[in-house]
Amino acid sequence: MKNADPIIRIKNIDKYFGTFKALDNVSLDVTPGEKVVVLGPSGSGKSTLLRSINQLETIDSGTIIVDGHDLSDPAEDINRIRMEMGMVFQSFNLYKHKTVLENLTLAPIKLKNMTESQANELGLTLLDKVGIREKADSYPVMLSGGQQQRVAIARALAMEPKIMLFDEPTSALDPEMIGEVLEVMVALAKEGMTMVVVTHEMGFAREVADQVVFMDEGAIVEVGTPDHFFENPTHERTILFLEQIL
Amino acid sequence: MPGPAFFFYDERELFMAECDVKKIDVGDGAAIPEPDDRGMVSAWWIALLGTIGLLIALPLKDPSTYGRVLTFIPDGVLVTFEVTILSISLALVIGLLTGLGRISKNRFINLAASLYVEVVRGIPLLVQLFYIYFALGRFVRVPDIMAAVIAMSFCYGAYMGEVFRAGIKSIDFGQSEAALSQGFNQAQTMRYVILPQAWRTILPPVGNEFIALLKDTSLVSILAVSDILRRGREYAAESFNYFETYTMIALVYLLITLILSKIISIMEQRLSHYEKR
Repeated sequence: MKNADPIIRIKNIDKYFGTFKALDNVSLDVTPGEKVVVLGPSGSGKSTLLRSINQLETIDSGTIIVDGHDLSDPAEDINRIRMEMGMVFQSFNLYKHKTVLENLTLAPIKLKNMTESQANELGLTLLDKVGIREKADSYPVMLSGGQQQRVAIARALAMEPKIMLFDEPTSALDPEMIGEVLEVMVALAKEGMTMVVVTHEMGFAREVADQVVFMDEGAIVEVGTPDHFFENPTHERTILFLEQIL
Repeated sequence: MPGPAFFFYDERELFMAECDVKKIDVGDGAAIPEPDDRGMVSAWWIALLGTIGLLIALPLKDPSTYGRVLTFIPDGVLVTFEVTILSISLALVIGLLTGLGRISKNRFINLAASLYVEVVRGIPLLVQLFYIYFALGRFVRVPDIMAAVIAMSFCYGAYMGEVFRAGIKSIDFGQSEAALSQGFNQAQTMRYVILPQAWRTILPPVGNEFIALLKDTSLVSILAVSDILRRGREYAAESFNYFETYTMIALVYLLITLILSKIISIMEQRLSHYEKR
């Protein structure tokens, strides 16, 4: 798998918020089907990195190439590239004025010219997959956090993306709801989805990750397999972080 | 005229963001009753029944004065509604464009929209009415009603723009990001995700504007438009029954605004279905 051409190729990117350097010369390759888990203390730039991949943040220098498309090339249509990448947010961000099913079908109908019945069929299948079909006609506000996040994952999948980006998907959840969301994510990983996951869930990283990336102060400090990362971390800052969190 | 409450939108937005209460609920129109506000509801009923009672009792008691005023007013009511509905429709379009302009990242568009709002807010409505009416008259000959509608909507469009801007900005940024991340462009995000939600937030102040505009249409009676007030003045001028005339006119306006405020309150409840747990 390592020999395949990367589907995401991040090269020497920098990002500033004012004078604060949020990303410092970050490079990372993700091959198709690979699961990359990004760890690090808060403020280390991991969310910024993830958001840069689908250009919710624009980088100041360096290149990001997704599935052959250079994001900094003005000729590229960012909206088309974004359709290839599903994103799951910490705060779910379900469309509040739409029912659960409509949340899933809106984008496929409007952006892929799917008919309503096709989209509904796809939507219900995905709701089955995340185990929440019975809530199809509810509004997001009626759902628990865990349920909302599962719907958000299904909504992202409705565009049939090649890559899924997860931005701290369980951080806003009550502890008893984290499991149901991780379960869905693990199942998705087993199907071979390419995933980049920013999280604090060490268990998930151990179980699922092909590559663990540790970031601190905007830079990638250490990269490795979960075994290497959790058993034999080499960098001092990684060791310190693991001591604090485990 | 929409009052100075609008100048405090920025602070209100911040305040509302902190409280996570995202409803704009200011206005200088007739108070729109909330269903759970018992005091307001009963005040509304008392006002409505009192108004209807007086509108029936006074003409019965004195048909030659109060009764005769009523025969003058109906076609004026139609004109008032015509001016109000045309003006609010046009003002909503202008308001949407202005609101979008005010949040635009394009500097020129942003500046143009802001300038429009600043200028309009700084000039009294009556002065604007005269100005637009006679300025238009110098170049084109438009029917009096059209001139009145253009002037009213030009003015209210600016206030409506602020309502739209505040409404759009009150929608959590995460909603935009979610839509963008799915591949919607900016315009689609606005159309499919932001505006449908902002509409809910915007409705109460738009309702207020609607009622305020209806009341302000009484100003166009000066521009040879035969609205309720002008019809009343025509009667008063020939009969000298000023007190009776303006009593009836006040009651007719009150009846209309009371009914409208109720309708808006019902619409508002209908629109909030997705907020209910």
